[in-house]
Amino acid sequence: MKIKLNGKEREAMPGESILELCKRENVPIPTFCYHQAFGGQGACRMCMVEVREEGQKEARLAAACTYLLNREAEVITESDRIQRIRRTIVMLLKRRAAGDPILKELADAYAAPDLEAVVTEPENCILCGLCIHACEEMGKSAIWSMFRGIDKRIATPYDEASDDCIGCAACARICPTHAISMEEKDSKRIIWNKSFELVACRRCGKEYATREEIEYLKERSDYGQENLCESCRKKTLAITVKNYI
Amino acid sequence: MQIDVNEYKHENEYKELIENYAGKPESLLAIMQDIQKQYNYLPRLAISLISRHVGIPVSRVYAMASFYKAFSLTPKGRFVFRVCDGTACHIKNSETLLDQLQKSLGIKPGETTTDGMYSVETVNCLGACALAPVMVVNGKVYGKVSPGDLEGIIKEYGGQNHGYDNQGS
Amino acid sequence: MDMIIKAHDDRQTILVCCGTGCTANGARDVFNALQSKLKDHPDIEVLPVVKATGCNGWCEKGPLVRIIPRDITYCSVKAQDADEIVDKTLLEGILIKRLLYRDPVSKEHLASHHLTDFYRKQHKIALRNIGEIDPAQISDYLEREGYQALKKALQKMDSQEVIDTVKAAGLRGRGGGGFPAGNKWQACRNASGQEKYIICNGDEGDPGAFMDRSIMEGDPHTVIEGMILGAYAVGASHGYIYVRDEYDLAVQNLGQAIKDAHSHGYLGNRIMDSDFSFDIELVRGGGAFVCGEETALMASIEGRTGEPRDKYVYPTEKGLWGKPTVINNVETWANIPVIILHGAEAFAAVGTENSKGTKVFSLVGKVVNTGLVEVPMGTTLREIIYEIGGGVLKKRSFKAVQTGGPSGGCIPASLLDLPVDFDSLTEAGSMMGSGGLIVMDDHTCMVEVARYYVNFLAGESCGKCTPCREGIRALLEILTDICNGQGRMEDLQLMEDICLTMQEASLCALGRTAPNPVLSTLRYFRDEYIEHIKNHYCPAGVCRELTTFYIDPEKCTGCTLCVKQCSADAIKGEKKQVHTINESECIRCGECYRVCAFDAVQLGRRDHHEN
Repeated sequence: MKIKLNGKEREAMPGESILELCKRENVPIPTFCYHQAFGGQGACRMCMVEVREEGQKEARLAAACTYLLNREAEVITESDRIQRIRRTIVMLLKRRAAGDPILKELADAYAAPDLEAVVTEPENCILCGLCIHACEEMGKSAIWSMFRGIDKRIATPYDEASDDCIGCAACARICPTHAISMEEKDSKRIIWNKSFELVACRRCGKEYATREEIEYLKERSDYGQENLCESCRKKTLAITVKNYI
Repeated sequence: MQIDVNEYKHENEYKELIENYAGKPESLLAIMQDIQKQYNYLPRLAISLISRHVGIPVSRVYAMASFYKAFSLTPKGRFVFRVCDGTACHIKNSETLLDQLQKSLGIKPGETTTDGMYSVETVNCLGACALAPVMVVNGKVYGKVSPGDLEGIIKEYGGQNHGYDNQGS
Repeated sequence: MDMIIKAHDDRQTILVCCGTGCTANGARDVFNALQSKLKDHPDIEVLPVVKATGCNGWCEKGPLVRIIPRDITYCSVKAQDADEIVDKTLLEGILIKRLLYRDPVSKEHLASHHLTDFYRKQHKIALRNIGEIDPAQISDYLEREGYQALKKALQKMDSQEVIDTVKAAGLRGRGGGGFPAGNKWQACRNASGQEKYIICNGDEGDPGAFMDRSIMEGDPHTVIEGMILGAYAVGASHGYIYVRDEYDLAVQNLGQAIKDAHSHGYLGNRIMDSDFSFDIELVRGGGAFVCGEETALMASIEGRTGEPRDKYVYPTEKGLWGKPTVINNVETWANIPVIILHGAEAFAAVGTENSKGTKVFSLVGKVVNTGLVEVPMGTTLREIIYEIGGGVLKKRSFKAVQTGGPSGGCIPASLLDLPVDFDSLTEAGSMMGSGGLIVMDDHTCMVEVARYYVNFLAGESCGKCTPCREGIRALLEILTDICNGQGRMEDLQLMEDICLTMQEASLCALGRTAPNPVLSTLRYFRDEYIEHIKNHYCPAGVCRELTTFYIDPEKCTGCTLCVKQCSADAIKGEKKQVHTINESECIRCGECYRVCAFDAVQLGRRDHHEN
């Protein structure tokens, strides 16, 4: 299926998103809420592009991450309109995450003006939702987006320590703006108002996971049986394979 | 999740309501509405039981409860004063009614008096715009309410205007 | 003096409007009083039947009691009037003058509401049965051509013919967007898949609009019949009605109607002995304005939070549970049986070139006659507000009419002659929306109105996408500042920039139309914004931080009306003596300003240099 991408003819697979096509063709599109593991959510709206499908008179604006290509089309990823949209979005998000380097960089790139910081305490969270997906992927769903409208925020139920949270910190690691606070001290990890004991690697002694995470992974698979950190596990695996050969 | 021990007394009642519906996600809204209707809020234990019954994580049930306005996460008062702030009521000064209620009951919208008697809420539109401004108390609709009428209405529900100084929680 | 009615009919029926509006005014008491009064007269030859009907739409004058077939309408009836109504009007044929509507211009007493300007200029299609039938009785609906369209379709039309008729009628969706219903149905019919769904969107959320409530309460069978016809046309076997949870009576009446339709064989397996089967389930909404958006509504039915999704693939292809789905709103469905039974031509003969048929508006706000009005598309705003609505309340000057709820805009006096249809309203920077018409007078502050809608949306947006959530948040802060006298001139441009991005980049229609109240007021009432910003003055006397009130001693008659209304006890004054307002006690609610019949309460400026 032929797609005219910024004036150049490209081949797209039916059903793939504009964003996936652009990634493959190395056409840069800024995103916050997209992750290759979960696909597009259409939430942050940074990836807006102009699309004109075969038979349509005018180009329409669409989110590249959720627009699936099923017909020949023309796609433009940079235009004055698109620039203006991204500038406003960065301007709006920068207020939520004032100190964040990624937003600073984008604000410079799109010449986004500063909105007066009415928010006294920047929450840093831009509500991209990646943490929710990461937690769901772990099979836990300890956090979700709560409330609605301008009060929407990511939280555990009742903002309390959740029975479902295993302290794996997948959410904190995937967060693009480092908005999830996590503290590690004295063999303890504190995240989402819950304290977890950290377990040290049997081989190298590095604290690599919480007790709850290890127990949970053991339940799900035989992964984690040996109480080894990721790099030591690879090493022992390599040795086993070598001996086997 | 901390659950109030008192809620365990109702565990079987919750279960009975919940099990009227099939254990699938599409039952969620209806189950929550039935519980809300019965208890005026969604007790924590009920949320956890619902989660188990329909097979949806507690976080998502809680998210539903916090997203939809029909649900309350804390117990509401015996009498709920719902002041309509739809456009027709708004331009006919529903805000003044809220001010007056605050003065009389000592609570703002969204709050409940500490004795659990009264709650004040705003509602976006009751669809009775011709009677603006409108207020509903436990299902009874009052139309064309003026600040001066409130004293009498509060009295209907056992309250004394100006004498009622129960501060909100 | 009471008047004598000439004709005597054998069988009389008393209809008591028991819609939400009339019930609030005590209609149930009236109904009960009439019923028990009639029990006392088992010997009476005439056999009147008391029926509780749905909302007449003339809630302003409720409770309404009608006597047919003589066509008598009594307004503002009280329970204690029951005896007189039975004894005089029913038995002796005498009209009770004090209960009749009195035309404010001619001062004449009118025997029937049909003779009033409010009704005379209306053209009822969607509301044809409202107030005429008891919604709880399927027999009432059947007497008025009920399920005849279904019979005709099942016996004489194939499914494509049904769609073609709807297309030819030119019916556009009454829920706001105005998408041609026939095209939607066609797309769903053409979509591949065995399982298809029909949804009725009864999540009426626009503050100030209640036509869907009225139809669901007052004529639930027409919605059901419309849906069955839609299901037959697209090949669906299951349907949902998603009703706003706040609408208790609608839920009750629809539930009863679904049951009755089942027992009469209009729903269920092999409907009217055809091969076609269809069922309807009632879903109570969770209370979220955004669920009026169709993808959010479907998410809600599926048991999720009502977050919309991008509609690059339409619900007619992938809708509920990923299956082809047709979703139309209540008023749209209510038009279907009429179109099928009487043909496309008759329907298309009413309205404008691109907007056919009628539209129900809920005419509310600062207007004399409030209520539901159904008029042909293309009727001008002036006709609706002045001829039907009787003009602005208390003869104040008209400032604007808000249409389309939070997705719409404010239309100024200069556009009063605008013929109202889907396209003309969009061109004027507003929207049809579901049909709210909120009349505003010079006591309404347009900046505060914009702030009101943005504040409404701040709580009602789902919060998923950045432009809508963050844009609304920024707009709300700026508008609040302006209302508090802390606005800056450059804020106006900033708001326009934010609005543009919200329109272009938001995920769903809620976000894309959310800027309309701001943009339309900026467009037509920019002066008012500038007054707030530059002069710290609110010309309507609404924004409290910018307003003071004082009493003009020349004009004050000492009537004490304002003293009684003042909830802050800030006004002092004895009867027949000039009153004064104590500024330090005054909470600036403006109640005195609005109630004073002598224009004695005046608006003052408030110095705002302390900021």
